[in-house]
Parts: sequence; C-alpha cells; structure tokens
Amino acid sequence: MISYTVLCVDDEALGLQIRRALLEMAGFKVLTALDGKTAISLFETNAIDIVLLDYLMPEMDGGRVAAVMRTIKPKVPILLHSACVDLPQETVDLVNATLSKGEGPEMLISRLQLLIDASQVSMGSNR
Amino acid sequence: MNLRDFQRVLKQAFFVPLVALVALAGILLWQVTDTRQAQLWLDHSDLASAQIAELERRIIDQQTELRGFELTGDKSMLRVFDNRNAHIDTQFTYLRQLIADNPQQIANLVRIHDAYLIWLGFAQNVISSPNPTADKSLAYRGRDLMTAVRQATRTMSEAEDKLRKERLEKAIVLERREIVIVIFGALIVGVALSIFSMMRLRQVSRAYQQSLDDLHKSAAEVYESREWLHTTLRSIGDGVIACDVDGSVEFMNSVAEELTGWPMQEARGKPLTQVFHIINEMTREESENPVEKVRRLNAVIGLANHTALLSRSGAEYVIDDSAAPIRDKEGKMIGIVLVFRDVTDQKRTEAALIANEKLAVAGRLAASIAHEIHNPLDSVANLHYLVARENDPEKRNEYLNMAQQELKRTMQISRTMLNLYREPNAPVEVDLKDLLEGVLLLLQRRLDNQNISVQQDFVGSFVVEGFPAELRQVFANLVANAVDAVGNDGRILIRMRGVPAEEFRGAGVLIEIIDSGPGIADQASQKLFQPFFTTKGEQGTGLGLWVSMGIVQKHGGNIRIENSNDGELRGATVRVYLPARTLATPSSRATAHVG
Repeated sequence: MISYTVLCVDDEALGLQIRRALLEMAGFKVLTALDGKTAISLFETNAIDIVLLDYLMPEMDGGRVAAVMRTIKPKVPILLHSACVDLPQETVDLVNATLSKGEGPEMLISRLQLLIDASQVSMGSNR
Repeated sequence: MNLRDFQRVLKQAFFVPLVALVALAGILLWQVTDTRQAQLWLDHSDLASAQIAELERRIIDQQTELRGFELTGDKSMLRVFDNRNAHIDTQFTYLRQLIADNPQQIANLVRIHDAYLIWLGFAQNVISSPNPTADKSLAYRGRDLMTAVRQATRTMSEAEDKLRKERLEKAIVLERREIVIVIFGALIVGVALSIFSMMRLRQVSRAYQQSLDDLHKSAAEVYESREWLHTTLRSIGDGVIACDVDGSVEFMNSVAEELTGWPMQEARGKPLTQVFHIINEMTREESENPVEKVRRLNAVIGLANHTALLSRSGAEYVIDDSAAPIRDKEGKMIGIVLVFRDVTDQKRTEAALIANEKLAVAGRLAASIAHEIHNPLDSVANLHYLVARENDPEKRNEYLNMAQQELKRTMQISRTMLNLYREPNAPVEVDLKDLLEGVLLLLQRRLDNQNISVQQDFVGSFVVEGFPAELRQVFANLVANAVDAVGNDGRILIRMRGVPAEEFRGAGVLIEIIDSGPGIADQASQKLFQPFFTTKGEQGTGLGLWVSMGIVQKHGGNIRIENSNDGELRGATVRVYLPARTLATPSSRATAHVG
C-alpha cells in the first residue's frame, strides 16, 4: 500500500501532536507545522499529497497560507480544518474542501482519503 | 407730549390771558385818563369863561355906579365904588392864575386890565371933579373908555369860547377813540385769546389722541405677542405647565393636557400636585413636588430618574422633565414652569437596545467559546479513537493524560461562560483581578492570533461591590476595543490601583486600559458614548461603550476616554473608576447619561 504524505498545520501543539498520532495510525506519513511560514517551507521542499490546514493561527491565517501554497503547487489538495463558523468566502473558494473540527476522527480520515483519491484520478487522467 | 410740555401749556393757558387782559386794562386806563384830562380842560375853559363874565359884570356894576353919580351928583351913589376896586383886582388876580398856561389869553387879560385902568383913571377924575353932571362930554368919554374895556373883555371871552369849543371837540374825539379802542381792544384780545386757547387745546387734544393711539397700538402689540407666545407654547411637542409662585396651575399646553388628563380650563387654579401627580416608578412613592424643590433650590432642576406621571384617566407615563423658576425683571421668583415629555417608548427602546447588545455580546462570545471548545473536543475525540486502537499500555496512558488535559481546558472555558450569565440578585464582592484575567482568557486566542502583548500592571486583588456578569461585559468590551485598535503586533497595558475617597467620590478602584493604537479622532471623542456611534463600520453595533457607560454609572462609577501620553503607548487611554461600595440594584437604570 502506498503511504500518502499529509502536511498537518495547526498552532496548537497538543492538538497537532494528537492528530499526528491519529493520522500515522491511519497509515499516513505526517509532516507537522505550528505556523504558516514553517508549513510553506515544508510544502516547498517535500512531496506533499495533501494539506490539512487550520484557519485561526497567529501571524498568518489559513487563508493566506493556502493562497501561497496555491502559487507554489496548485494541484496539491488542501482541506481546511477549523472550528470557525464564519470562514471568509474567498478562503472557502480557494481550498478543495472544509471540515469542521469535532466531526470525529473517522470523518477526518475518510475526507482526507477521498480528496487524495480525487487528486490521484485527476493526475492520472492528465497523464 | 410729555408731562413737562403739558405743564408748559397749562402755564401758558393761565398767564397769557392774564397778561393780555392786564394790557387791555392798561390801554383802557390810558384812554380814560386822556378823556378825563380833556374833560378837565373843558371844565377849566367853562370856569375861565364864567370868571371873565363875572369880571365884566363887576366892571359894568362899577360903571353903573359912576353913571348914577354922573347923573345925580350924589356921592352916596358911589357908596361901594372903592370897595369894588378891590374885588375887581382880586378877580383879575384870580383870572390871571387861571389862564397862566395860555399866553394869548394873558395878553387879552392884560389888554382888559389896561383898558380898565384907563377907565378907572377917568372915573377917579369924574369923581374928583366938582360938577360932574354938567360936563356931558365926560359921559361920552366914559362910554368910549368902557366900550374899549368891553371890547377887550369880549375878545378874551370869545377867545376862551373858541378854546372851549376846541377842547370840547378834542374831548368828543377822545371819547369816540376810547369807545373804539375799548370795543376793538376787547374784540382783538377776546379773539386772540380764543384762538390761543383753541390752539393750545388742540395741541393737548392731539397729544391726548396720540397717547390714546399709542396705548391702543401697544395694547394690540402686547395682545399679539401674548397670543404668539401662547401659540408657541401650545405648539411645543413637550408638555408645558406654568404655575404661579404658590404652585397653582396657570397654563398648560395641549401635550400637558393630554398627558395629565386635565383640560386647562379645569386645571387652572388647582394645586400642581393634584394635576401633575408624579411617583417613583420603582418604589411607587410620591415624588417631591417640583414647585417646592424649585423654591427650595431657587434654580433649574431636573426631576429624579424613574419618575412616572399618573394621568387622571389612570394611565401611567414614564417622564423625563425639568422645572425652572420664572423670574421678573428684579429676579424675584413669580412662578414656576415645568417641561416634561413622555419617555415610556424611549425607555422601552433603550431597554431593547441593551438587551440587543447583550445578545450580540453573547453571540460573539458563543462563537468564540464554540471555537475554543471545539479544539480540545476534537483532540479528545481523536484520542478516544487512538486509545480504542492502541495496544501499547504506555501509549494508551499517555493518550489518556492528554485527554485529561484537554477536558480540563474545556471545563475551564465552560465555567467561564457560565459565570458570564449567572447573575446574582444583589451586588456581590467582585475581585476585579480575577474578572480581568477571565476576560483575557476568553480573548486569549484573538490576542495570540494577532500577536498582541498584554501587560498587566497590578498585583494583589481589588475587590469592589457589583454585578460580575455586567462588569465582565464592560471589560470584555473595553479590551476587545483595544484589541481592535492596536491590530497585529500591538501592545495593551492594563493598570489597576486603589483610589482613596475624594470630594464627591468614595474610595474605589481605577482601571486603566492603554493601547498602542492610533488613538481617538477629535470629532469622535464627543460621540463615543452615544448609542449607534461606531468607528468600526459594519463590524460594530455602536452600542458597546454606551452600554458599558450605563453599567459603570449604575455601579456609581464612570468611564473617561482620552488619548494617552503614557510612555511608549500613544493610543487611547480608557479610565474606569468603580466605587468600592455601590448603590446599584439589579433593575436600576443601565443606560448611559450622555452629557
């Protein structure tokens, strides 16, 4: 089985640590970043299959991070994962999907898998 | 015409006729004197003529005696001849005195005297002659001499007659003149006086008419301005009641009639307390009579909060009002005027606005709390998933510990939220340090996101009496304003210190929130505490500071906002003073008094 790489971005260290454990158990390779800058440099230098991105973060919010990522590797799917109820529309339009925090781990894993599959299919058809 | 003019006219009306009549009397006196003088001269002429005649008679008597002697030679005939000489001399002397003023007559008299003396010389000769009867020539001679005497006498007599005639004519002329002068003088003076009196009377009458017209005009003006004032008062949208100094109603406009339920006709003269029945909305106690209060303080007063007007019909209106003394020119109080308006709807609107802001605050907090709770809940769900699938007991233990931590955080947040809406019925002791830390905890995520540093410059606890949820709302609002103002990487300084009691202010706590933002624009500073004023555009309700001020004022404190000059922080400084002891009750008014 191919192991997909997830770039997980969240400013909360404990939550991030737990998510990493979860995703690794689910069979993903996980890279983590505590802020937008680190996330972008990791995104540039590593082969990333999907980005799991928090919205509310100090200095650079999820929207801005997603915008930068789109300019670097526009094809990599981004799942915006936030507890925010009023996300700005331009950010929602920018990312592939949004997922509310607290929907549960199964939902998170299945959504990640779904997005990866979709991106693989589109890449395959491009080939 | 003023009083002086009028007195002048009165004096003229008295003195001018007097002077005119005196002048007329003077002229008449002059005329009478003239006429009388002429009469005297006439009498003089008559006397002179009589005396001339007497002289002639005496001379003729003497001649008659001489003629008798000549005829008879009888000396007895000459019995009184010599005596007569003396009489005739006396007569001459008398006549001489009488006509002393007239040289012509004196000459005539001298001529008579001369002729008489010649005749007398002749007569002496005759008397002394021995035989006078014999000589006939003597008789002729005597006759001739006597003729000369008589001729002279006639001349004088005729001259005197002529003189008399002249004098008589003069007297008649003078009499006529006198009559003419009397008639014309009386006529002229009479007419002149009439004209003068008429002119003066006309002048007075004109002035009287003028003052009468002025009086009518000013009466009309007074009436008009009175009507104008009445109409203005009647048209005012607020209720107006005017009382006399004893507190009896004198005037009410239609709004006052409507609110009190008393028509003005009925209310007039009644005591104000009967017509304007006010009570405290909360305690239902009678409020102090505004007339008494104005009289006591002798100044404009605003009535207490929560004043309700009980209408005659039983309706109740919450009113906002003021009362002021009416003063006369000397500043003496002559009445009291009350102005009031129905603020029942306004109070309801204010209450609705406060509830609205509370809901908005609650909504914002709920969203931020949901976010705060979702993060740890998400972690707990993830951990649950991991624990269920993990076989390594050590790892499972680690996951459980993590879950414990996240749950603790969740509970802390939920407790804070509960405290926010759990409100006691009476003021309780509130530790402002705990309260502020709670507020900062709620805002922590925003502060972190925007990389804002908050410096807390206080140690120990600061306890005041109050309502914690309301105070939390105030400080959440003020700190959130500061966060909005400073933007990313900003700085906020929160300083707290106890303040001792001062005049008009009890001991309490002063909290200062100073930010590094751009400060407050001059034009905004006047309006900060007004409802619906916001500098945040669509993001703000414009109610935050208004509600905050209301809450703080209810606690007996106040909020001041100015631009800071505190060290490096050059933004706004918000100073909140809260008294250690509060008089606030849960229901007391919480809207701000915007000055």
